[in-house]
Amino acid sequence: MISFASFPVQPDRGDARHSPDGEEPMDLDDDDFEAGGSKITWPGESITSSQAYMRGHGTYVENEEVVASVAGTIERVNKLVTVRAIRTKYNPEVGDLVVGRITEVQPRRWKVDANSRQDAVLMLSSVNLPGGVQRRKLESDELQMRNFFEEGDLLVAEVQAFFGDGTMSLHTRSLRYGKLRNGQLVTIPPILVRRLKSHFTTLPCGIDLILGLNGYIWVSKHVKESEQEGEEGFDAEAVYSNRNDFIDDSTRIAISRVANIIRVLASHFVPLTADILLEAYEWTVENDADARSLLSEEVGDALVATVAARA
Amino acid sequence: MASVSTSKAEISYIQSGLLSNPPLRADGRALHDFRTISLETGVAPLANGSAHLNIGQNPHDGGGGTEVLAAAKLEVESVDGQGEGVDGGRIVCTVSCSPSAYPHLSAPALDDLQHDMSTLLHQTLAHPSLHPANLGILAGKKSWLLNLDCVVLADAGNTYDALFMAARAALWDCKVPRTRGVEYKAAVAPGAKVSESGEMDVDRDPGEQQSGFDTRSISRAVDFELPDYWDEGEVLGGRDKWPVCVTLNVASSKVHYLDAILQEEAATPLRLLLVFSFPTAASPSLQAMRILGSGELESGQIREFVADGEKYAQRLSDALNGKLKEEDLRRGQKARDRFARR
Repeated sequence: MISFASFPVQPDRGDARHSPDGEEPMDLDDDDFEAGGSKITWPGESITSSQAYMRGHGTYVENEEVVASVAGTIERVNKLVTVRAIRTKYNPEVGDLVVGRITEVQPRRWKVDANSRQDAVLMLSSVNLPGGVQRRKLESDELQMRNFFEEGDLLVAEVQAFFGDGTMSLHTRSLRYGKLRNGQLVTIPPILVRRLKSHFTTLPCGIDLILGLNGYIWVSKHVKESEQEGEEGFDAEAVYSNRNDFIDDSTRIAISRVANIIRVLASHFVPLTADILLEAYEWTVENDADARSLLSEEVGDALVATVAARA
Repeated sequence: MASVSTSKAEISYIQSGLLSNPPLRADGRALHDFRTISLETGVAPLANGSAHLNIGQNPHDGGGGTEVLAAAKLEVESVDGQGEGVDGGRIVCTVSCSPSAYPHLSAPALDDLQHDMSTLLHQTLAHPSLHPANLGILAGKKSWLLNLDCVVLADAGNTYDALFMAARAALWDCKVPRTRGVEYKAAVAPGAKVSESGEMDVDRDPGEQQSGFDTRSISRAVDFELPDYWDEGEVLGGRDKWPVCVTLNVASSKVHYLDAILQEEAATPLRLLLVFSFPTAASPSLQAMRILGSGELESGQIREFVADGEKYAQRLSDALNGKLKEEDLRRGQKARDRFARR
């Protein structure tokens, strides 16, 4: 099946402009800041006077006015005005759960792409080594680092600390963290992943989800309760395995479907939570929308409309 | 290409999905489905023909997808034996890749990639069997040089198919300006009317002399002019012949699929590029064939793949022709509307 489409029509620039005469800089004084919970701004809009306020991230000063340099929401802490950008790289915080991809193996450390401004660092000393949780790091471990993680591998980790230059340091010192397999990755804007109580969720269709705060989402086959970490059936040897388990067709179809739901929701800028995903999944099952039809515009729009109405 | 890093687990997930029965792809498409292709012609006002193509664009926010821009620009070139100009004109194709499409590639690697793509596109499109008839201006003196420049703005897999489709759309859209030969008239002609010797016959009283556009005197024409005419020129000759490319991603000897995304490309050991041309009322001709990747292919299999590829290429070509005609209509409509508004 091959189908051609046209590019979406650009709004005619001549008409779409805001009325030129009614446009004056939005002067926000104290009341405005207090009243407006979240105000959206765009690059070049002057926010307030630079004499009364300090400029923060996402702003600059021109003609004694604080001007936004990015599109986003205005935030203010006392006299400091910042703009939080809508589309941005991931801003890490200590304790965040992230999904990353190894880009480089270096002496006693891995470099990890975590959708941040700089590559994150995973030290050999902050991973769980196979064969005993409390085992000491040996010299032989340094020589076989690629047996644990090699270039391209995906992993789930937690932000542990920051280095002096702002690089984040990750750790995987929990059996829940580590190498990822049995599934596929979906990338969405990081702002759409909210901070949740738990970023590991399970959908009843036999799917595990890891919502990385950096916008990388891992959709994989569900691991049975009895085989989860700390249980009887937990396979400690498989922690650094590159082999997938057997995945049956229905699970594969469900994984594709969930991945496409996430893509559709992200393209409509719907923040992602497990509840919304579950509702969306149920909707697709009710309406018999398979993974492929979700990519079409009508089905996607209908899905988002339903989810938005219920939320 | 395909060098976007992918873990072994992801690769084996994609491969086992493709090899399962029924085959399942990561985004739910069937094996021979294309993603949605967006196409627009006439995007570059200064080019003689141009096209903008995107495979797999997200319909909601317009992001993602393989994005290619192609523009054909005509240039006059002398045929004097010193330069590269040849009688009947020639075609030069260049592909450049935006570094933002391949952020992981170093500059030399990007150059290599561009060169590979340029070579394939140039060798295929500049082949004598596809050469358009109306690229000559004055035999032995001047001809058109058609520069076809393609830019890969973003790569989300299946770049070659996108390149060839964009190139075909740009060439389809290409208009060759009309030219008229200009010649010197001999000073003395027995019994002829008075004529000034050695002067060009431009801007003459039309009743007094012949038009310069006279095919019998073409050999005497020394230069040409561009007559002012209502349209931009005539379409490039043989525009039905421009080929389309299909990439067969060979997962196993039994299973092959079309329109791979980047991850699928990384998981596929062998890709077979087949370029087919479908001149009207004639059998399809295979214009080019390339094998990419480290996999192996037995010569016996090639015949099957070519036969399959021909079917896909036929469908792709039909769909593309339909869209190009639609675009022609749309642009005709737009031009008329703009004229009416004035």
